[in-house]
Amino acid sequence: MIELDVRNVVKNFGGLQALSGVSFKLQGPERVGLIGPNGAGKTTLTNILSGLIKPTSGTVYLNGQRIDPLPPYEIARRGLGRTFQVTRAFRRMTVMENMLVPALALNPTANRRELEKKAMEILEFLTIEHLAREYARSLSGGQQKLLELGRLLMLDPSVLILDEPFAGVHPKLRQTIWNFITHVNENLGRAFIIISHDMDTIFALSKRLLVLNYGELIADGDPEEVRRDPKVIEAYLGEEEEEEVAA
Amino acid sequence: MNRNALWIWVPTLVGVAILLLAPLGLASHPYIMHIAIVAFFYAILASSWSLLAGYGGQFSFGHMAFMAIGAYTTGLFAKFVRIATAPTHMCSEMSVGSYTLFLLNPVPEGQLNCLELAKPHMPVGTLIYRPPVSVGILLGILMGGIFGFLVGVLVLRLRRTYLALFTIGFSEIVRVALNAEIPITNGPNGLELPPLFPKGISIFGHHFSAADKVPPYYVMLFLFLGSMALMYWLAASRFGLFIRALREDEEAASALGVNIVRYKVWLFVITSMIAAAAGAVEAHYIGVITPNILLILQMSLVISMAVIGGLESLVGAAIGAILIEFALEFLRTSFTIGPITVDMTVWRLVFFGALLMLTLRFQNNGLIYPLVQRLSRAGVAEEVVAKRMVPQQTAQEGEE
Repeated sequence: MIELDVRNVVKNFGGLQALSGVSFKLQGPERVGLIGPNGAGKTTLTNILSGLIKPTSGTVYLNGQRIDPLPPYEIARRGLGRTFQVTRAFRRMTVMENMLVPALALNPTANRRELEKKAMEILEFLTIEHLAREYARSLSGGQQKLLELGRLLMLDPSVLILDEPFAGVHPKLRQTIWNFITHVNENLGRAFIIISHDMDTIFALSKRLLVLNYGELIADGDPEEVRRDPKVIEAYLGEEEEEEVAA
Repeated sequence: MNRNALWIWVPTLVGVAILLLAPLGLASHPYIMHIAIVAFFYAILASSWSLLAGYGGQFSFGHMAFMAIGAYTTGLFAKFVRIATAPTHMCSEMSVGSYTLFLLNPVPEGQLNCLELAKPHMPVGTLIYRPPVSVGILLGILMGGIFGFLVGVLVLRLRRTYLALFTIGFSEIVRVALNAEIPITNGPNGLELPPLFPKGISIFGHHFSAADKVPPYYVMLFLFLGSMALMYWLAASRFGLFIRALREDEEAASALGVNIVRYKVWLFVITSMIAAAAGAVEAHYIGVITPNILLILQMSLVISMAVIGGLESLVGAAIGAILIEFALEFLRTSFTIGPITVDMTVWRLVFFGALLMLTLRFQNNGLIYPLVQRLSRAGVAEEVVAKRMVPQQTAQEGEE
């Protein structure tokens, strides 16, 4: 049973409080959207969950084990994987090499050919298998997003955090990313936290929404409930949305 | 064996065979043999720096410091350590079986050290030995690894400019320390070392004297080939994959499960040990080392060799180093064009600098690496895939 338990996480950067006591719990293969205005603390929270920065206080448990003091590679190996807002493919490595990095990090003694076979299956699903021997730098921005997703799946995490997976992506590739998320979530039983500023997509894709504002979790619930939440409307969705809802 | 593998292995085996057989024709040309030995020395340094900087992205300017640590460790071991069949009771010593291992005390020139003071009091017939050169070289390699570990740990959070500045600082500290500790290192006067084979060596019934160039040629050649084999094996393993990943993006690599601390430190340890091994063997071959081997100019030379050969290619950097070392030696001959005499002892470095600048500007992947790639036809598959994709992409765009 997947369980991500975030308890009262606080993060201060000098005098600035980026996160002030954020708590939530993921149970099972949930599909959670994380939204909020710029500077709300979404990326800070993601960085804390993945171990890239340490919280000032608070704890994070993954599947019953405390992970917040662990280094990022240990958290990744225990089952929490993430992508980045700006794609961070290993540009001077081939697509296949990109795919092998997490797989070999997770399982150093694994048979390389079997890993390559598995990587090809994932690349096929992502429709970029023909690029396996290309250098990642020669891929378009959207294809690099797909590669990041494929790479993440090679890590075989139980919780996947996707930071702006749809940003700057061609509609056709957006559909591929959408299919990837729903397939991995529904068929492989993995939990997702998806950060996006694309309201239509995130409301349609998520089964649950978390809303951050100035480092505080101001809403947590069903997307339709969140859409009507006055605090969310005031902080993030704005007047236009409110009128739309009222109508 | 597929076609690509043939294109890699055939030239490699031919090249190795030529290098192995070269002394048959060149043994009577000690000058060329000398240049070849020095060229192998630089090839080891340039290729190991290529692994560190080209593969691992760690732009260290301290590589020559590790080389010097290897050289001075074996030099100091040869200078200060002795083995005797009886104790001196005057030196710092310890018993090893029926032998006594002791450390000579550093003394100013003209004064007697503890062994010389003890000799009149030692039993008649006491035998005193110098320790084997090979043990000194192994200690040099070990010391290179220890310092590589320490520097690797210290530079964990440093990147690019800061790493470069840190390693320049480290190299300068080593140079200044070696210069300053005159009673131990002889400072700028240099530390003398015994030759690689102090009593000469017999191979297949042929005796080579200590001054002969053939034995050191093979020692340096085997060290070069051995280190290349080790580095290629590492580069092809998951170690190579991970250090390239951390070169590209440390945070992303870490978030994908790569223990970047471990691999970064290992990278420093391994490349430092290789540099130290080259330094230790070279020091015994040359017979004297001075702290000037740590001048920034020397480090620049190694970096230039790697850049001109191909920074991201071990063999490119090695071939670049060998060709440049030979070119720099053969370009010493001055020539006259009409009334102008070109003093090549000076101008060769200008040509070398110009070549470096042109390489960086127009061929930043080096001059040798693209040739190696073409030879191995490693790019063919990518080209084919890329070409195949053009019509598909065009069709997709048409649909959209």
